[in-house]
Amino acid sequence: MVQIRLDVNGQTRALEVDDPETPLLWVLRDGLGLTGTKYGCGVARCGACTVHVGGQAVRSCVVAVSSVEGQPITTIEGLSPAGEHPLQRAWLDLDVAQCGYCQAGQIMTAAVLLQRRPEPSDEEITQAMSRNLCRCGTYPRIRDAIRKAASMKRGAAP
Amino acid sequence: MKRRQFLRAAALGTSGLLLCFRAEGDAGAVELAPAVSAALGDYLRVAPDGTVFFRLVKHEMGQGIATALAQIVCEELCASWEAVRIELGHADLVRFQDADHGGYDTGGSASVAGQYALMRKVGASARQMLEQAAAAAWRVPLEECRAEDHWVVHRGTSRRLSFGQLAGAASQLPVPGRVRLKAERSFVLIGQPKPSKLSPDIVVGRLKYGIDQQLPGMLYAVIERCPVFRGRLSRFDASLASKVPGVRHVFSTRPIAGPRTAGFPHDIREGVAVVADSFWAAQRARKALKIEWDEGKNASHDSEDFERWARERAAERSDPTGYVGDPNAVADVAVVRRTLRASYVYPHQLHSCMEPLNCTAHVREDACEVWCGSQAPNHIVWELEKLLGLPAAAIRVHLMPSGGGFGRRYYPDFAVEAAYVSKQAGGRPVKMLWTREDDQLVNMAHHYQHMEYQAALDQSGRLHAWYEKEIRSYTWGATHADPELPPMAYAIPNIRYDFEDMVRDELIQSCAWRGVVEHGKALGECFIDEVAAAVGADPYQYRLSLLRPGRVVQGRWAPISSDRLRAVLALAAEKAGWGKPLGAGQGRGIALFPYGGTCAAAVACVTVSGRKLRIDRLTLAVDCGRVINPSGATNQLAGGLVWSLTALLHGGLPIRGGRAVRSNFHENELLGMAECPAIDVHLLPGRGRPPSGIGEVSSPLGVPAVLNAIYAATGKRIRTIPVTESALA
Repeated sequence: MVQIRLDVNGQTRALEVDDPETPLLWVLRDGLGLTGTKYGCGVARCGACTVHVGGQAVRSCVVAVSSVEGQPITTIEGLSPAGEHPLQRAWLDLDVAQCGYCQAGQIMTAAVLLQRRPEPSDEEITQAMSRNLCRCGTYPRIRDAIRKAASMKRGAAP
Repeated sequence: MKRRQFLRAAALGTSGLLLCFRAEGDAGAVELAPAVSAALGDYLRVAPDGTVFFRLVKHEMGQGIATALAQIVCEELCASWEAVRIELGHADLVRFQDADHGGYDTGGSASVAGQYALMRKVGASARQMLEQAAAAAWRVPLEECRAEDHWVVHRGTSRRLSFGQLAGAASQLPVPGRVRLKAERSFVLIGQPKPSKLSPDIVVGRLKYGIDQQLPGMLYAVIERCPVFRGRLSRFDASLASKVPGVRHVFSTRPIAGPRTAGFPHDIREGVAVVADSFWAAQRARKALKIEWDEGKNASHDSEDFERWARERAAERSDPTGYVGDPNAVADVAVVRRTLRASYVYPHQLHSCMEPLNCTAHVREDACEVWCGSQAPNHIVWELEKLLGLPAAAIRVHLMPSGGGFGRRYYPDFAVEAAYVSKQAGGRPVKMLWTREDDQLVNMAHHYQHMEYQAALDQSGRLHAWYEKEIRSYTWGATHADPELPPMAYAIPNIRYDFEDMVRDELIQSCAWRGVVEHGKALGECFIDEVAAAVGADPYQYRLSLLRPGRVVQGRWAPISSDRLRAVLALAAEKAGWGKPLGAGQGRGIALFPYGGTCAAAVACVTVSGRKLRIDRLTLAVDCGRVINPSGATNQLAGGLVWSLTALLHGGLPIRGGRAVRSNFHENELLGMAECPAIDVHLLPGRGRPPSGIGEVSSPLGVPAVLNAIYAATGKRIRTIPVTESALA
C-alpha cells in the first residue's frame, strides 16, 4: 500500500492505494467518492473523465495518481458547487444535457477554453471540444452554451 | 404508507406547520420522498413543505421522459413546476407491471405516447383529492374549490390552502374513480420548453448513474468473456491473477452463460470473473489470466463471409411474407417495360452508450438488491428469480438513470452477471463493470440488414410494382405468421415484401438499437430516389406524386396518413430551401419515414470535394401529435440524427476470425462536434392528436437523406455504410 496526498477541490485528502499507477479517475471516484468525473473509455478518447490539474484540462483516466500529488486538482464538484459558473448557468438556460453522462467532461473542458479564450471563435470552440464525445448528440447546444457563457462572462466583467 | 406516518402527515397538514420550502437546487432532482409525506395515489407524494415527488416508473436514459411525464402530471395537478421533483425508488412490479400502469418496459418511443392519458389521470386525481380536502376543511361545496399553482383557492372568499397544508388530509381520501381532465386548450405547462429536471444535478456532477453506486464493503468485478460469439470456456489458469494485491475471487461464469429469452432472445457469453477490492486491481488481475477458449465455428469466419451469405440469400427465391396486389407483378411482362434493382446494406452497429454497462448487486441468503440503469427492470426481477430461486418480492431493483440505453439496456444480462458474481463472492456487494473494450469487443449489436429492392415501371414510366426483400440477422423471437409489410404509404399498386433471417449464421448477437428494425427499411428511401432518377423526376416531387391526398394505409402499429406525410415532406423541403441553387459539389437529399404514429422527413445538404464529404446541414420536420416539451423534443430529434451519422461515417462492426477487431474509440469513432452539422428541427403543431413518440423517428432518416444528397452532389449511388473515401472517389 502506498500513501497518497491529493489536493482536490481545495481540500487535502489522504488515502492509500495498492498501485501508485492507478489512474486518478478511479482514485477520485472510488477512493474519494467524487463520482461526478466519469469513466467513458479509459484511453483518453472521450473526455468524460476530464478534470483540471494545475489549471489544465486533463484526462484523468490515463494519469497516474502518483504523478499529480502536490498539484491542485479540480473536479466538476469543485468547479462551482452551487452551479454558478457561467457554463453551468448557460447549460441550464439552453437545456443542453440529455442523458448527462458526458456533460461534466464537456463543462470542464469548456471551462479551460473560456479561461484561455474568453471570446472563442466557432473554430476555437470546435478545436477545443471536438474530442469530447456525446452519444446523445448534444453538440449544437454545447456550442451555443459556450457562446452564451462567454457573453455572460463578458457582461459580468467590470 | 404506514399508519403512524400517515397520521403524522395529517397532523402537520391541519396545523399548517413546516412551510419550509427547500431552495431550488438544494435537493437532488432524483431522490426519495421524505418519510413524512402524503401519498396521493401510486405516483405522487407531497411533503409538508409542498414539494411534490413524482414517481418515475419508466427509465430515464436521456430521452427526457422524466421531465415530459412530470410535466403532464403537473399540468393536471395544477402544481407549481418548480416544486416538482422526480423520484425513482425501486421496481415495484406488483403495483406497476400491468396493463393499467404500462409497466416498466421502456422503449419503442412509447413512454410519453403510452403514458399520456395515464399521467393526466394521475395528476387530475391528486388535484381532485386536494380540492376535496379543502372543501372539507372549509365546509364548502367542492365546485367552489379550485386548484391553482400549488394552492387550492375558494372562489368567493379567496381563502386558500397550499398543497403542503392539504396533502395529509387529501391522502386519507379514496383515489377518485372518475376525474375531470383539463381542456387541452387550457394547457399552460404542456407544450412549454421546460429544461430537464435532471440538469441542475448533472451540471454539478451530483446525478448518480448506475456506475456511480457505492456501498460499504463493496467489491469490484470484471469478466473476461469469450472473444468469439458462442465460443466456450475450455480452461483457465488464475495462478498469476490471484497474486495481484486486492484480488479476492476468480471463477468461471459458465453457469449463467448461453441462450436466454428474457426480453428478447439473447446470449450471455461464457467467461472468467475476477473480483477484487478495486476496479484497477480487478483489471490488472484479469490481464494476468491464462484462458483457453473453444472458440467454435464462428472463429473460422470474418464479417465478409456473413455479408456474402446475406447476398446469396438475397438472390434466392423466397416466399412473400406480405404483399399488396399481385406478388409477382415485377415479372409481369405484359405490363412491365423497365426494371431497376439494387442491394443496400445497413451493417451491425454498436450502441456505445457513454456509460458502459454495469450493475451493482448484493445477493444475500434470502434477498437480493441490484442497482443499475435498466430499460426493463421487470426482466431483471424475473431473471433473478430464476437464477437465485428467490421470490420476486425478495428482489429489489433500485432504479437509476443511465448514461444512454438506446436499446442495449433493455436486456437483463449485465444484472444476471452481477448477481451471479455477488453470490459466488460469498454474498458481498459487488459492482460489476464492463470496460469500454468489453463494450466494443464482446457485446450485442444492431442487427445486420441486407435490403434487396426491385422496381418495375410500366410503359408510361409509372411505378407498377415494388419488391423488397429483407435479410436480417435477427427475428426478435417472433415468427412472421402475420404478413409484415414495410411502412409503405406510397401508392404503388403492387408491393411485395419477403423476409428471411440469418439467426443461425450470426457471428455476433443482434439486439435492439435505437430505431430497431427501421434503419434497413428506411433505405427504401434511397431506392425510391433511384426510381425518381430513372424517370427523370425531382425526388421531392416524385414522392409527393406517390402520396395521394386523403389516403390512409394501415401501418404495423398505427395508420399512416399520406396527408401527414405530405405535410412533413413539404415543411422539410421548404425549410431546407429545396430547389434553391447550390454551389459546386453540393447536393440535397430527402427522406421520409413514419415511426409508429409519428411522421418525419429530413433533408440533408452536403458538399463533396474530392473524396471528402462534409454534411453541411440537416433539416427535419416532424409530426408527432401534441408536443409535451418542445425543447426536450428538439433535443431528442436532433440527437437521433447525430446518432445515425456515427453509423454513416464511422460505423459497422468488422469481424476477423470471429472476433470484433475495433477495441475502443480510437478505432470505433463516434461522431464528434467537428463533424456535427447544423441541425434545424421543425415541429408541426399536432394539436388535436395525442403525443405519438419521437425517440426513434429521426435516426432512420439520417443515412438515406445523406446518401441521397451525395448522389445529388456527385452522381454516385452509395448503397452501404460507412461511407468511405473510396466510395466517393
